[in-house]
Amino acid sequence: MDRYIEQAVAEIPQLIGIFVTAMPDSLLFSSWVRDGTSWSPEDVAAYFGDLVRANREGLKALGAWSSEMQVTIESAESLVVLRELSSDFVAGCVFERSAPLGMVRLHLKRLLERIAHVLPEVQAEDRPRGLRIMEFLDRYAPDPHAVALRVSLRAGISLDDLKMPGALTPDQVRRLEETACKILGVKQLGL
Amino acid sequence: MPIEDLRQLLAEQSLTFLAGIPYVYHCHHYNLFHDQTIDDALGEVDGARVRTTAAHNAFRELLGAVFAAAGATTPAERISLATEVFAWMGQGRLSLDVSGAGGRARSGSLHYGFAWREKYGARVKRDEPTDAVAAGFAAATSELAFDLAADAITATEHRCLATRDPECEFTLTAGKGHLSRPPVDEATVRRYVAPAIRGLDEDRVAAIASGLLEFMRAVHGDERGLVAAFNVFVTAHLPGYYNETVYEAVHHIERTAPAGVAAVEALVREAGQVCVFNTFGNVLLSPEWEGMVGPLSGIPTDMMAFCTAIARGLGFGHWLIHEYEPRKRLVIQATSNYEAPFYRTRYGIAKKPRSYFVQGATLAMMLLCETVRWTERPQLTNAYYIDLFRGKPRYRVEQTRCATRGDALSEYVVDAL
Repeated sequence: MDRYIEQAVAEIPQLIGIFVTAMPDSLLFSSWVRDGTSWSPEDVAAYFGDLVRANREGLKALGAWSSEMQVTIESAESLVVLRELSSDFVAGCVFERSAPLGMVRLHLKRLLERIAHVLPEVQAEDRPRGLRIMEFLDRYAPDPHAVALRVSLRAGISLDDLKMPGALTPDQVRRLEETACKILGVKQLGL
Repeated sequence: MPIEDLRQLLAEQSLTFLAGIPYVYHCHHYNLFHDQTIDDALGEVDGARVRTTAAHNAFRELLGAVFAAAGATTPAERISLATEVFAWMGQGRLSLDVSGAGGRARSGSLHYGFAWREKYGARVKRDEPTDAVAAGFAAATSELAFDLAADAITATEHRCLATRDPECEFTLTAGKGHLSRPPVDEATVRRYVAPAIRGLDEDRVAAIASGLLEFMRAVHGDERGLVAAFNVFVTAHLPGYYNETVYEAVHHIERTAPAGVAAVEALVREAGQVCVFNTFGNVLLSPEWEGMVGPLSGIPTDMMAFCTAIARGLGFGHWLIHEYEPRKRLVIQATSNYEAPFYRTRYGIAKKPRSYFVQGATLAMMLLCETVRWTERPQLTNAYYIDLFRGKPRYRVEQTRCATRGDALSEYVVDAL
């Protein structure tokens, strides 16, 4: 897939990077970034996935969601476009800020069609909730370096047990989730 | 009397005092991580209670000594002096409207709330106020201003910058009274220090530490009562606050959830790492440091000498390099530190080493001196901290001697894994 993306982006000079995120866990599926770029594709893909999820939920709350929706972010340095390719995949494309919007739309349409064409059919795996919560904390908790210790202390789950979050008991998962909400200052986790 | 004139220095031990009460310098990264750890151990409600009580006790000691030294006798004089001291310390500028029965306090710039919003505000939503230190200070000030007994007044913060309120607000009401604790003042501290000894590179360490102590004499709060220096917010702070909160939290876990002891001890050690990375690191990279010491060579033995000097310059005690073999082994000794006098006075002899802060700090010193490319002047970001400290550990620290345990001095051994 990575090689296919490389070929697909070759004719778009103003593209800086593209990230394909597997949903619902916001995990990097494939990516390409221009040489000299020091981004972490795993992090970017995860944030883009979560952003699209939040956007989807927001639009649903407004009764305005459709699968054709697209998120466009214009920052000082770049132009970011996020789009759902299917229920299982999200694509995030980062262009130079100077790229004309019309050209971006044109390139994007062709590029995403080609990528969508080669994406696999996936059967979403029901990954353990404990694992997903710990991954979510890793992405969003303040002081992520200390998050396992903090969770252990607050939730009363041993550090050894937290090394295998996929094997936590239902009660431990409940306490983990309560603790994660507390640490993040949210009422529920957007998993 | 100018506040600066209330400072004293026990030079041979690198310990600093304000009106005879110990104080040290710590940055907002350390302060926030410290408080967060207390709440992790005790929960938000008990955490806030313990933090407020510790600040209350610590500021009663300090302000009682300051008022006596300055000859402040009337309520107006004492309240005015107390708020000036608080702002001078970099804790923020607090307006008090109080009587002997209580009252209100408010501020648009308290160290904890302001720094929390700066550091975490865009990332996390917070429901609980952060300024237990200011609450304890407000209660102590009100009591002493009106010659009331300890804990005659209780202060509660109900609006906070960290919870996205426009300013912090406190209500002060009648408290329940509690037994006052024995003070940990200069005389007490002197009982728990060992005669200062020389370490490796001693002349250079001592000269730099002396220069830094002199430099810190000029550091004080701005019009907001905040100290923005070395790319961090700095506070002159009371070891009594840090020690009471840490040891109450650790003891609580030991009593109620022994399985959590490893986690709480690791977190309070990590606070030491946070301090060294952010405060020591930013001091080293500051123009002030370059003006005082010169450009950084990045040579590990130089950096270790510098870090040891910074510890002394911040009032952490007489740390010395006993042994250092780059990439293999570091042995730091301390004939004094700010943890032991408090522990021994409050709790007696410890059964195990309890100098958690220095344990974490020495581990971080080893890593920083060996790993950071100082000559490239890196940005000390949170991402860089994670890169350095997360993943497979490269070193381990063991405290082999501890003044809290009755040893003559404290010793911290860092070995490569």
